[in-house]
Amino acid sequence: METHVELKTNSKMFCRCNVVETDKPNENLCPTCLGLPGSLPVPNKRAIEFITLLALSTKCQITTDGMFHRKNYFYPDLPKNYQISQFDLPVGTEGSLEIVVNGEFSTVEIERVHMEEDTGKSTHIGSGRIDSATSTHLDFNRAGIPLVEVVTKPLIKSSKEAVSYIEELRQLVIDLDISEGKLEKGNLRFDANISVAYENDDELGTKVEIKNMNSLRSLEKAIEYEISRQTKMLNNNETIIQETRHWDEKKEVTSSMRSKEGSADYRYFSDPDIPNMILSEDFIDKIKNNMPVLPSEKRNTFINSGLSIEEANSIGKSPKWMGELYKSVSDITNDSKTTFNWITGELQGQLRKLGETSPPEWMTAEQLAEIISLVKNDKISFTSGKEILAELIEEKINPEEYAISNKLIQENDTEEISKMVKEIIKENSEVLERIANGEEKLIGFLVGQVIKLSNGKVNPSVAKELLLKEIK
Amino acid sequence: MNHYKLSISEINKLFKDKKLKPSELYSEVFERAANTESIIHGHLTLFQDENIKKAADADKRYENGTELGILDGIPIAIKDNINIAGYATTCSSQMLSNYISPYDATVITKLKDEGVMFTGKTNLDEFAMGSSTENSAFGPTKNPWDPSRVPGGSSGGSAAVVSAGSAIASLGSDTGGSIRQPASFCGVVGFKPTYGTVSRFGLVAFASSLDQIGPITNNVEDSKILFNSMKGFDPFDATSGKESKTKQPKLKNAKIGIIKELMEDGISEDAKLEVQKVAKLLESQGHEIVEVSLPLTKMSISIYYLIAPAECSANLSRFDGVRYGNRVAGNTSYEMMENTRAEGFGPEVKKRILLGTYALSAGYYDAFYGQALKARAMMKKEFTETYKEVDYLISPTTPSDPFKFGEKSDNQLEMYMSDLCTIPANLVGMPAISIPTGLSSNGLPLSVQIMSPANTDNTLLEFSQKLESVVSFTSLPEIKGDVS
Repeated sequence: METHVELKTNSKMFCRCNVVETDKPNENLCPTCLGLPGSLPVPNKRAIEFITLLALSTKCQITTDGMFHRKNYFYPDLPKNYQISQFDLPVGTEGSLEIVVNGEFSTVEIERVHMEEDTGKSTHIGSGRIDSATSTHLDFNRAGIPLVEVVTKPLIKSSKEAVSYIEELRQLVIDLDISEGKLEKGNLRFDANISVAYENDDELGTKVEIKNMNSLRSLEKAIEYEISRQTKMLNNNETIIQETRHWDEKKEVTSSMRSKEGSADYRYFSDPDIPNMILSEDFIDKIKNNMPVLPSEKRNTFINSGLSIEEANSIGKSPKWMGELYKSVSDITNDSKTTFNWITGELQGQLRKLGETSPPEWMTAEQLAEIISLVKNDKISFTSGKEILAELIEEKINPEEYAISNKLIQENDTEEISKMVKEIIKENSEVLERIANGEEKLIGFLVGQVIKLSNGKVNPSVAKELLLKEIK
Repeated sequence: MNHYKLSISEINKLFKDKKLKPSELYSEVFERAANTESIIHGHLTLFQDENIKKAADADKRYENGTELGILDGIPIAIKDNINIAGYATTCSSQMLSNYISPYDATVITKLKDEGVMFTGKTNLDEFAMGSSTENSAFGPTKNPWDPSRVPGGSSGGSAAVVSAGSAIASLGSDTGGSIRQPASFCGVVGFKPTYGTVSRFGLVAFASSLDQIGPITNNVEDSKILFNSMKGFDPFDATSGKESKTKQPKLKNAKIGIIKELMEDGISEDAKLEVQKVAKLLESQGHEIVEVSLPLTKMSISIYYLIAPAECSANLSRFDGVRYGNRVAGNTSYEMMENTRAEGFGPEVKKRILLGTYALSAGYYDAFYGQALKARAMMKKEFTETYKEVDYLISPTTPSDPFKFGEKSDNQLEMYMSDLCTIPANLVGMPAISIPTGLSSNGLPLSVQIMSPANTDNTLLEFSQKLESVVSFTSLPEIKGDVS
């Protein structure tokens, strides 16, 4: 996988232009990011800090004496017709990232993490491709925005693993606070290189690069499509050529973009406009000392609190408030699973129905814990718990007071219930006889009668238990 | 009395003493341009109209005693590869014949702050690639000493206008000798500072690791004034240096090395004699002269013609007709870029782009560009070692006096050899100055070049000033057809 991560610095990589979202094309430009004659690049220190943070958190070796290279190729949205990138001395090499696939841990090996600048944006009119377009519109607002490219080793074995890897990387850059991490905005853009080989082959098959996957869903589908395409070809003794293929979102197929990509000669050479990038021990230590909690660490905390790997992974990748609420609530309830289910199930479900993305500000961990405890201790039914939660999302209430005033508290006093059970048995001698004759399902009917008698306050399981005792 | 050959400090004194007004000086310089430009063609553009007001403003400042400094009201010419906001920066190329820069180079901002007036933009070899201005898309500049001869290049226009008196001083850029060689050919002073001491921001790049802006002046003191007003760290140029403390060479009883390899084959007798003459003068001043050998200087042309074209091949990629400059239509965007570059660049520029592209290509990089980088590093070491023994190095600036138009344009290697003595300073990054010291057997100017370790620029200038005073080269060109 090759992933480009757009960093959320205030200014661009090599000039002082602001990085801001705007619909107006060509608004944030200066001589440098437009490649005007005489302009020069000056590296953005913040971006270097960000990439070092990412490289360290993916356990990379840090290149302390690195440099920027020029990658030469002509394209209208590349202002200088070379991209300032890194070549043989990237900031990070030989790293790894722990991910979760199907409820189990797995490790993705990272080959390199390097810094580069983004290009402008081309919109081809009359065709999707530049060579057949009637005209091309160029917007250079994006040109020069800092990008980090993260390249994995070719060791990912399934589409699921690839998706999990992107999810983990996305969570990492969000938690590190170095990127918005929004796929839909192109903050994370990924290409997949896929090769299929015979089971017994030691060597990997010919690599095919897939571009234009804009969501995790299309990533998964494209990889699966490509695996089956290549497998069919191999089974038919056809030769797979090294090429770049385009994922067609609508048709859900890949099609050839250009072949012999591997032979493109970018004539890399070190950029004479930029001195070597020396990352001092001090600089690296400072970043290490300010490292935020990583997704893998967060996940371990959740696992230690009693969740499964899958649950821990899922809550770690949910919105931040969920993980935090989970922690505070489970600290009170001491019941991780129930708490997890209430938050990721009931609470999230009810919020989603209302179109909300987070709970109301008045909702506290204590209130939620109280609801969970009321249900868990059989004070109220699960249905009543859901009702109280819904009420709590609407307005600030005290769950227990609400349960009392709305007569949701269940009767758990066995003496009281025994009285009612005896009364019901007395009134239903005919039913009892039928039960004795084997119509056991009528016990449910009797339980219902007890609940009715109690105006619904009796805990059904207690009522059933006492009924059975009386009958036998 | 003519004032255009006075030094900047002399002019400044006259301004301050109210014996001369900036507007009077400007009229004189402009008249000089009007009389000489039809022959010399040093300026591509003259900023006459706007300067009348600027000169009047400078007059007022001197009247009120609020002048901005020693450079206030001094008319200076700018090589046309340095951006001045609102004016064309053509680089003497068809590619940019209609290109107006929206921003000032850092050196321009600094000079504006000091009240400098810009006479206009001067001619150069296209994109500063050449040694004669014969590669200008807008016609060559003529040598004021003999219009049948080249003024040198690439800053030929900047050297010729100072020599002719149509500017008090000028700025050039020097990648392999482009300030010093034309200064030598035109009998004026040319100074290439230590790489990185003067910001390159706003200088259209030829070879980024070699380019440096510097002054071309009538005397060493003027170069010193201009250098010190332009130097300094620039946040817009990552290669510009913060001043570092360096051991300075001696000013008295110094040890000066004559570079053996630059006194051998390929150097004219005139040029050798000139160096020997100056060496004797220095000796008589109490300095010690020794011969030093720097064997890799012989490789400098080969190293240079791999590194400079490689960098230029990338630097000039941006000229594609997409965003600015001239555009030649095509059926597809790639065809448009190809047509634009085919028509926009002249033959020398194309040749160097091809050479550089080849040197960087997969399979050739190690043999050519990679090898050149190693040789450059070794050459740097060689000079560093030599400077442990000597304070300064001396050589001819050019292998010969100015050559005639067409004389070397058919023999490219010979043309490239005219930068033999100047290229080492760019490869090493050290400061180098060319000082006119005498006339050749053809009655044309000859110069010597003095070099010193990196970051010793002001000491080199001071040393050169002393040499200049004992050489006392006072000859001036007589411009044929000159009516003033």
